[in-house]
Amino acid sequence: MPFTATPADRPRAEAGAAAAYRAAGLPEPSHILWVPSPFTGAVLAALLDPELPETRAELASLIPAGTCTLRSPGVPERALPSAEAAELLPRLGAGAPVRERVRSLPWEAERAAAYAELGPAGWAETWARTGGPTWEPVNGLVARIRAALGELGGEEHGSRLRGASLDAVLGQHDAPWLGLFASLGRLAPLHGLAEVAASAGWWWPRENLVILSERPSRLCRDEPGRLHSGDGPALAYPDGFALHAWRGMPFPAGFVDTLAALTPAKIRAEDNTELRRIMLEHFGYDRYLAESGAAPVHKDETGTLWRIELPFDEPVVMVEVLNSTPEPDGSVRTYYLRVPPEVRTAREGVAWTFGLTAQEYHPEKET
Amino acid sequence: MYRQGDILIRPVDGAAVPPSVLALPPVARDSRGRVVLALGEATGHAHALTGPGTLYRTPQPMSPDYLHLSEGGRLVHEEHGPITLPAGWFQVVRQREYVAASLTARAVAD
Repeated sequence: MPFTATPADRPRAEAGAAAAYRAAGLPEPSHILWVPSPFTGAVLAALLDPELPETRAELASLIPAGTCTLRSPGVPERALPSAEAAELLPRLGAGAPVRERVRSLPWEAERAAAYAELGPAGWAETWARTGGPTWEPVNGLVARIRAALGELGGEEHGSRLRGASLDAVLGQHDAPWLGLFASLGRLAPLHGLAEVAASAGWWWPRENLVILSERPSRLCRDEPGRLHSGDGPALAYPDGFALHAWRGMPFPAGFVDTLAALTPAKIRAEDNTELRRIMLEHFGYDRYLAESGAAPVHKDETGTLWRIELPFDEPVVMVEVLNSTPEPDGSVRTYYLRVPPEVRTAREGVAWTFGLTAQEYHPEKET
Repeated sequence: MYRQGDILIRPVDGAAVPPSVLALPPVARDSRGRVVLALGEATGHAHALTGPGTLYRTPQPMSPDYLHLSEGGRLVHEEHGPITLPAGWFQVVRQREYVAASLTARAVAD
C-alpha cells in the first residue's frame, strides 16, 4: 500500500475522509478537490495561508501543468487545470486546518493506549513485527518528497512548501503506523484514515475543503527499497512532479540521457564522484573491467577478486563468483558482487557477502 | 554450512537461537505448500523446502532468518542443484553487496 503506484480509488478515499471528519465530531467537508501530486497539493495548501505576502502570484506560478477535479455542493463535478484551481481557491472558504482533530488526536490516543497496554518491550516488539520493516523506506520516501518540495519552492517559497507538507496527512505513507494499529485490533477509531491510506496519497483536511492527492503513476525501487531507476524518474506523479535516483542517490533529470551512451573514457572523465559511481554501476563493473583492461588482484577456489582505482574516491573492489550449478547448455554463469575496499582475497570477499570471515566460510556443499 | 546460490545455510546450536526469534510467528507456507527461504525478485524462482520445517523471519532485512528442521529436508531451486539438509537449527543468510561509504550515508538519510 505505501508503494502503490496506481490511480487513487477516489470514491473510497472520499468516503474515508468523510468518515474521519465524522469520527472527529466535524461536519463533512463541503468541497472536495483532487490534485495530481503532493507538489500541487502543497502549493495549494500553502496558498490558503492568510498571512501570505504579496508573492502569492509567484507561489501560484510554481504549480505544474496538471488537472484537478473539484466537487462542490450543488454543482456537477468538474475537471480544471491546476492553475485555475489555485485562482478559485480563495472563493471556496476552506476554513481552518483540521488535521489535528481529524488525524493527530485520535492517532495519539490510540498510540498512548496501545503503549500503556503493551509496555516498552511489547511496544518495540509489535512495532518490529508490523510497521518497523517498511518504516525506513516509507519515511525515506516522505523525506525525499519533502526535500524536493523545498527545492522546488526555492529561497522564497521552499520553507512554505515544506511547511505545507508537514500539514498533510500522509495517506498511503501512513501505512506503517496503521499496520501496527491494525495488528492490535485498534483500527476502528482510525477507520477513515485507514481507508484514505488504502486508496490515495497525501491529503489536507480543512473545515470546509479537503484536498486529496493522487498516488504516483510510477515508483521504482531496488531490492533494499531505495528509489532506483536508470531509465526515467524513480518516482513520478500524473502532473510531471518527479524524482530521479540511483540506489537512493538523487541525480538531475537530464543525467539519465547521458547513461545510454557511456564509455569507460567518459566515466573516467566525470569529475563528480557520485555521478561517476552511478555511471559505473549503470555501465556495469564487469564491462568496465573488461573494457579498461583491468587485471585480477587475487584468485582462489571461491572466485576472483578485482579492483578498480578511482581518483578521489574509494576503490571499487569486487568478487567474481562462479555459479556452482552449470546452465542447461553446460556454460557456467558468473556474477560480480561489490565488497568493502579493504578486502584482499576472493575467499574473504565471498565470506563478507554472507557476513562471515574468510576462516568461517567453508561450505561443505555448494550448488 | 551449505550454499545454494545467494543463500547460505549455517547450522547453529538450538540453544543459541534467540528467544525473540522463537516468539516470532512461523512463516506461512506458499500456495504450493512450500516453505520459501528466499525469492528471486526478478525471476520469482525460490529457494524452497517441501517437507516439514519451520522458518522464522527476523524483522530486520539484513539479519539472518532461522530454520528448524525436525527430520532434515531437501532444499530446491529452479536454477541450482538440490541440497539435502540434516535435522537441526540453521541460520539462513542472504548474500549482500557492499554499498560505498558515502552512498550508504545518503541511503540511510533519505
